[in-house]
Order: sequence, then structure tokens, then C-alpha cells
Amino acid sequence: MNDKLTKEEVLHVAHLARIKVDDDEIEKYQVELKQLLNDVDKIKDVEGYDEERMIAPWPKDTILREDEPGEMLNPKEVLKNAPKHSGNYIEVPIVISESEGA
Amino acid sequence: MKYLDKTIEEIHEALKKKEIKPIDLVEESFERIEKNKELNAYITLNKEEARKRAQELEEKEVGDNLLFGLPIAVKDNIITKDLKTTCASHILENFIPIYNATVVDKINENNMIIIGKTNMDEFAMGSSSRTSYFGAPKNPWNKEKISGGSSGGSATTIAARDVLFALGTDTGGSIRQPASYTGIVGMKPTYGRVSRYGLVAFASSLDQIGPMTKNVYENALLLNVIAGADDKDLTSAEKGKEDFTRFIGKDIKGMKIALPNYFMSDIVTEEIRNEVEKAKKILEENGAIVDYVDMKYLDKAVTLYQIIAMGEASSNLARFDGIRYGYTTENPKDIEDLYLETRKNGFGKEVKRRIMVGSYLLSGENAKIYYNKALSIRDDMKKEFDRIFKDYDLIIGPTTTTTAYDLTDPMDDPSKSFMDDVLVIPVNMAGLPGLSLPIGFGKENMPIGLHIIGNSFEEATIYQLASFLEKKLNLDLNPRKDDENV
Amino acid sequence: MSNYIPTVGIEVHCELKTNTKIFSNSINGYGQMANALTNVVDLGYPGTLPTLNKEVLNLAIKAALILNCKIRRQMHFDRKNYFYPDNPKNYQITQAETPIGYDGYVEIEVNGKKKKIEIEEIHIEEDTCKSTHRGTKTLLDFNRAGVPLIEIVTKPCMESGEEAKLYLEKLRELLFYSDVSDCKIEEGSMRADANVSIRKEVSDSFGTKAEIKNIGSISNVKLSIDKEIERQSKLYDNGETFQPQTRRFDSKLNDTVLMRIKETGNDYRYFPEPDIPYVYITDEQIEKVKSTIPMLPDERKEKYINLGISEVNAKKLIGNRALSDYLNELLEEKINFKTASNLLLGDISAYLNKNETEITKTNLSKEKFIELTNNISDGTITSKNLKEIINTIMESEKSIEEIIKEAGIQNITDNSAITEMIRKIIDENKESVEDYKAGKDRAIKYLMGQVMKESKGTLNPSMAMDILKEELNK
Repeated sequence: MNDKLTKEEVLHVAHLARIKVDDDEIEKYQVELKQLLNDVDKIKDVEGYDEERMIAPWPKDTILREDEPGEMLNPKEVLKNAPKHSGNYIEVPIVISESEGA
Repeated sequence: MKYLDKTIEEIHEALKKKEIKPIDLVEESFERIEKNKELNAYITLNKEEARKRAQELEEKEVGDNLLFGLPIAVKDNIITKDLKTTCASHILENFIPIYNATVVDKINENNMIIIGKTNMDEFAMGSSSRTSYFGAPKNPWNKEKISGGSSGGSATTIAARDVLFALGTDTGGSIRQPASYTGIVGMKPTYGRVSRYGLVAFASSLDQIGPMTKNVYENALLLNVIAGADDKDLTSAEKGKEDFTRFIGKDIKGMKIALPNYFMSDIVTEEIRNEVEKAKKILEENGAIVDYVDMKYLDKAVTLYQIIAMGEASSNLARFDGIRYGYTTENPKDIEDLYLETRKNGFGKEVKRRIMVGSYLLSGENAKIYYNKALSIRDDMKKEFDRIFKDYDLIIGPTTTTTAYDLTDPMDDPSKSFMDDVLVIPVNMAGLPGLSLPIGFGKENMPIGLHIIGNSFEEATIYQLASFLEKKLNLDLNPRKDDENV
Repeated sequence: MSNYIPTVGIEVHCELKTNTKIFSNSINGYGQMANALTNVVDLGYPGTLPTLNKEVLNLAIKAALILNCKIRRQMHFDRKNYFYPDNPKNYQITQAETPIGYDGYVEIEVNGKKKKIEIEEIHIEEDTCKSTHRGTKTLLDFNRAGVPLIEIVTKPCMESGEEAKLYLEKLRELLFYSDVSDCKIEEGSMRADANVSIRKEVSDSFGTKAEIKNIGSISNVKLSIDKEIERQSKLYDNGETFQPQTRRFDSKLNDTVLMRIKETGNDYRYFPEPDIPYVYITDEQIEKVKSTIPMLPDERKEKYINLGISEVNAKKLIGNRALSDYLNELLEEKINFKTASNLLLGDISAYLNKNETEITKTNLSKEKFIELTNNISDGTITSKNLKEIINTIMESEKSIEEIIKEAGIQNITDNSAITEMIRKIIDENKESVEDYKAGKDRAIKYLMGQVMKESKGTLNPSMAMDILKEELNK
């Protein structure tokens, strides 16, 4: 069992998490993340379990919402906590790449 | 002025007879908090608004509501409108919410007064409240010791008798473990018992809000206030109104209690095991049946917890990106830079570590190898609890493996904070209710807690046993000497 | 260029016609002031939780039913994790593991032959917020965040841009007619992506895929697919290959342009959404939804043709849902449907267009329409009369009978008067009478025209024709 992740592995997870890791932090993360991954690897030893999953301890009956409008915020409230805004819009630096989603 | 040391009935009578007003209780709380400032229990005090509320309440009828006009402390990961809610993180250091958590609405409707927001581990990730951006709270029994976590501030302020009531949150023991370390009563209700709307999510399938108090009765009273289905939380359960104090005072003759061997194995210190044995004996002397039982999967709970909690957290905390609220980095080069710098500077070490590991655990094939497998074993573990509850009313064990340790103990072992909660995590996995009750003290005069686990929605039975033991033990649980009192 | 077999699959995102958003009770609306239709849930505020809108389920079930899909009885939602400013929580709630509908099909007609376009799945998800790029900034409007969507994914079973176009037209017609969606492509309530690859032989495995994103119109879907097939064919002909990629259609260039090369396996870190418990769908619920599905276009068309409406008119009526719905209320009536359809598509449509109104907003009650149709069928009202009184018909509350009276329309129905007039015309047009007798068809039409002219359109044409023929054959 290696006691360290590679630098590339650390940078990969840091990218997924959108957390910048400075050069002088990489070494520390290589060790710490590996230790946690060694912990969770213990699950690989568990055998003879049932495939059925428990996503959460949900109540048995789910009551869905009726399609009736409720209160909304006014644009001022929307912007209240936003660090940058312009007009009624929340502002971010220009986004060039296309959305990966829907 | 020492009303906060009186019983809740006495306070209630005094309020009713107008011998005191809510403002007197509020002022007394603030004075005590001020005097205990070095305990660092609070991140934000609600001074102005609490006083205003107290004065408003003077116009209202006290009625039969025992909680009328009483101050309450709220953990700082529960959203309070117009009152700073930081989650003990730099990323929300100046965040002023624009809505209320459902529990906060309920507190207000019940005419209680929010006195302040309590210190905690950053985003509830930790077991000693030392990951707080605002520094750790200190244990009122010994200021060199931790109060536990993540609800360390709420535990501290209750133990110090600043207020009678506090709310904590519990994802993997975060109410019960600090309750045990500080000698108070802490309940994590059944998953779905209390609405999570407005609780800043750490691990959605595990999180639950619960009451923290100095005794069992007051604990049940507070649960009466905060419990109930909420149409804003689909995972909250419709169970009808119930009085959680209803079995308090009943005897426990014939009650069947299971004590899993794993909970009494050598992962737990001898002094704690001894106290649990003593409690077991009292229960047996009073007609309860206590059996040692074997339970599968208990030793796997921490592993499951690490996978599920970190996986969910990596997703839940993705929303902190510096765009709509919270801290943001200055002059980002581009959108990627905005994300990377904001999250690097905004989150603390523990949080970043968990987000990164969680992201890894869900990426590509790992979701199957780790996360889905963990959900399967989680289901088996719940079934194992179901099996025990076919034959037993309750399960008991120690809450923690040791008593509260030194604030200066090293924090460089990333696994340590998980292992602190090894005995309490299984309850979150299965969504069950669990309570920690003070049952004695260790060599260093630090409190020891008994963990009482009930079947789903059987909180009232837990309170029955807890109040019975509380009465039998009749411990002095006030860490402050009389002359220290206000 | 050699011949290749193209393979096309289409993904459609369709906004559902609900009052509120999928996971919050703020209004699902379009064209409002920026950030005026949001609440803390839509903004992804800390502590907020999703609540699933019942109507979203109903509309998704409806879509599954009309697209002949199987319907899942127990499902959950999943989180798709990716950072993007239009994605408020930085995860999107969708259905990856348990789409509500699966294994369906839509039937289209390609060159007179029927073809089933297979639907792989329909899943429910939330829309993102809208970004507008301005200078060095991107501006975010969260009104669209959380609008309910269904994504309809076909199998890679189409072979041309034309098939894709026919499929999308059919899909739009179905979803629109069943009130699942507005299907307004220009407002973005329906959006299509196309996956295109080509291969030499059917036995070959699928070629490298290019995805064309967010195409703004159905005709551009066809065009972009055909262009993409052409582009890929040329590359292969030249012995070149290409990487899996995302492209977009540039309407100025009339061609697709590269957006980016696909990274191997987008890491969306899907996992089951813990905040929304299992949703169960019962037979009763499905039956209930089924009963709300109005008559769909294919059935309407068949009915219309059986009632004597021409195929051209039947198609035109389906193209105008309000008129088709209006007509559907009258299907049990004993009226001349050919006349009724001409009336609806002719003078009534002209009136509605001119006045920019809808038929249900006029004073043309069902009873009045029936009376009008009958009066036209029996010649009481001629087309010329109709033009004079159409405004009154549509706007006043009076009956057709009253309107006719008030307008002084008195068509000559006295046989002797008509006969007299026709005899006069015959006398004045000897040449044409000769032609008629010589078997020239055109002659009678000319004579009839003269008769109508003389009568200033006040004659019942069929009656006049009968008398004309009678007189000519004397």
C-alpha cells in the first residue's frame, strides 16, 4: 500500500473539487488524502452484503408539492448577498466555454 | 438574579406572576455569556434583536407554554434571517441570510428568544470544534479540554449554564459526543423527525437537528417545539403531534435493553466501561433486562460514514462558489480562477480535505466501488438494528471511547476526528434516535455519557429510560462553583 | 464522395407547462424582469431543500404515454455534479438511474413509408439559469433556474437530417397537443441536440460521434445534420479521422463549427439525490393522466377526412390548434364539415389574423357557427355576403338570422325571377350557348359567371346552376 497519492492524483481531485492547491501544499495532501483513502478502502473487504441500497432513511410516504405559486424574492433581495452584480443581474467574469449540463 | 439556575417550572411561575420579565432572562444570559467569554461558545450574539423580542413578549400572554420567553442558543449552521450565519467558516464569515430555517420559525412561534449563534466545527466537519474559523470553544469542566464537536459551542453554553436551551446538529455524533464531553443531555432525533429546511447541509442523508439541554425533561420539551413534518422538507416525516415528555417519570420494569459487545470492547477506556456497567446494574436492579448482544456491521460504520458523508459533502458544498453569496476572491482572472481561489481561501483544511476525498469517491467507477457499496451495507446495517429492535426496546452503550481530551492534542491525523465518533455514527447510518446522558465522571473529573438508542420515532421511550437513570444517579452536573455564578 | 450510412440520435429538452418550478414554488414564467421569478431554493441558498412539484410528474407521465414509453413505478433522482455559473448548486438534479419513461417510440412517415423512431428514455430534470455575455462579464438571470424539463433521448436510429426533422416536427406536435409543453423553440422551451456519426456498412460498429448542441430551429437541425454527415464523409474519404467533439450550428455560416473536443468521460460524479425520497407511480395515477390527454393530431386528421374534409384542410386545421380544438367540439353535429372547414380556414381565419385574436375570444358561439355553416351550405349566405357580415358575426351577440335580416341580405330565391334573369343572359350570349351545345365545358362556367354577376352575388349558386342547365337543355 502506497502511503502517498501521486501529485497528478492530488491535482485531479483538487480540480474536480475546484479547490486550488499551491505547490507547497501538494506534498501534505498527497499524504493526508491517501490516509483517508486507505480508511475507506476497508469497504473493499466487506463481503456477503445485500445489493439493496439505503439512499437515506426516508419516510415511507412522500408528500409531493401542489403546483401552486408561493412568495418570491424581489430582485433586490436576490442581489443582496451577491458579491458582484449589475442592474438586476448577478455578475461573473465572462464565461466562454459552453455549459456541460442540460 | 439567578433565575437561570432555577427549574423551568419555577421560572415559568415567576414569568406568569410577572415577578420577572423575559428581558430579565435575556440580560442574565448575556451577563453569563460575557462572564464566560473565554469559553468561546458563540460566534454571533443576537443582542439587539433578543432584547427587542423580549420586550415584545411582555405584551403577550405567558399561558401554559413552559418555554415562553426563554433564551435559546442556535448552532451557527442553522439559518437565521437577518442574523449572521457563518457555519464557522471564512466563506460565510459575513453571510446574512434572507430566510429562516423551519426550526427557527418554530422557536419564534413558541415565543422563545434566540440569544446567539454557537461555535462549531467548520461546516460541522470535525469532532472537537477546533476546525472553527473562529477558534475552538473550551470545556466548562476544564478549559484546557475540548468541548467536542461539531456542536461544541452549544454544548459549552449549556454546560456553563448560560442558557437552558440550545440547538445542535448531528451528522455523525455531533450532538451526542459533545454532550457526553460536557456533561449535558443531547438528543439526535430520528431522521425525518425535525425539518432540515434551513440546516446548511453537510451530509443530507445523515444530518438532523436536535435539542441540547442540562436535563432530560427540558430536552423533551424542546423536542416538542421543533419536531414535526414540514412541507419544505420532503424527507421530514408526518407523524402527528406527540408529547415527548409523556413517559418521563414512568418506571422501567420489564424494559428490554440490548448492550452490543462491540460498544464495550477495548476501543473504549476502562473508566467509561465501568460507568456503563454501573448504569447497567442500576437498570437491572430496577427491573429492566439488559443483555449483551452481538451486532454485525457496527465496526464498519466509520468506513461507511467516511464514504457517504464525504461524498455528499463534496456535492453539498459545491454551491459555495463566490457568486451568489459569501466570500469571493478579489479580481479573479476568469471564472475558473474565481472558483479555485474562492474555495481555496474560503474553506479551512479539514473541509477542503473532505471535499476532495468526497469528489474522488464519486468520480468515475469509484461511485460504484465506494458509494453504492456503502449504501448497500448501510441498508444491511439498518436491518441489523431492525433485528435487535424486534426483541429489545432500547440499545445502550457508551457515547464516547474516552473523555474530552486536551485542546492542544495534535490535529494532524485526518482519521482521528472520525474515530472519535465510532460509537455514535451507526445511529446516523440507520436514521435512528440517540441520546447522550451524563452518568458519571472519569479520573480527570471529566463527564462520561451513556448513549441510549431507540427504534425509529421512539424518542419518548429513550426519554423514559434517560430520565429514570438521571433521577437515580442524581449527579451534580454544574461545572461552575457557586461563587462563580452570576 | 463515397456512400456512408449515417446514424443520428436526437436529444430534446422540453420545458414543462406548469405554474411553478420543479423543486420550488416560484413561478415558471418567461419574459419577466431579470431575477424577479426566484426564491432561495432556485438560487441554491445554503440550507434550502427541493420539493417535487406533483404536476411535473403528471406531465412527464403524459409525455411518456404519448411517446409510447413504459413508465417506471419506483424512481429516485440523481445529482449531476459540475461547476458552471448557470448551475446554482453546482449540481443539477436529474434522473440518471431511473428515468420515468423508457423504451418508447414515435411514428413518422418518410417518403410515404412509416418508420418508428425509438425513444430510449424520458427523464425529468431542472433547467439552469440564463447567462448573457456582455463585454468581459457574464450576467446571470435565475428566472429560468429550476424550470421543469423533460429530456427525451432517441436511440441512434435515424439516418438523415430529413428523418430528424420529421421526428422533431412530430414530437413538437404531440407535446404541444397534449399540453405538456409550449414547444416554443425561439423562446428556448424546446431545444434539440443531435448526435451524428457515419459508417461504411451496417455491420460496422458506429463511427466517431459529433454532438451538435442547441440548434435554434427544426430546419436548422436538418441542415446541420446533413452538413455534418457531409463533413464527416469528406474526412473519411480523405483517409482522415476526427475526435469525438461538440459542435454548434452557426446560422450565419449555415454550417456546424467546432466548440470543443470531448474530454474522455465527463466526470459528473452522479449519485442518488438524498433530499428527494422515492417517488412511486400507481396505475390509478397513470389512468388519471391518460384521461387528460386530448385527441392527438393523427386521430384528428383521420376523423376530419372521414367527415369529408379534404386532406389539405385537415392538415391545415391540425396546424392551427385553436381552430382544430374548436372544430372538435362540433364533431357530433350534423353539419357539412367541408363547408365548416373552409369557413374556419377562410374568412374566420382571415378575421382572426387581421384582428390578432383567438376564436374562443370572439362571439362566434358553437350554435352560431352551426347556423352559419348551414346557411352557407344551403346558399342562404353567399361568399360575397359573408365578407360583408363577417365582422358582425364575430363581434355581435346577435344570431345569424338577425344579422342577415339587419344587413338586408335577401337572396333571390324566387324561381321565376331567376329563370327570367337566366333567360336574359342566354339571349345575350348566343355564342356561348352554341359552345355549350358543342360540348365545351368552359361555356357553362362562363354563363354561370354572367348570371352571378348580373345578380350581384345574391343568388343561391346551386339553385342558379340547376335552372341554367334546365334552360340550356330546353
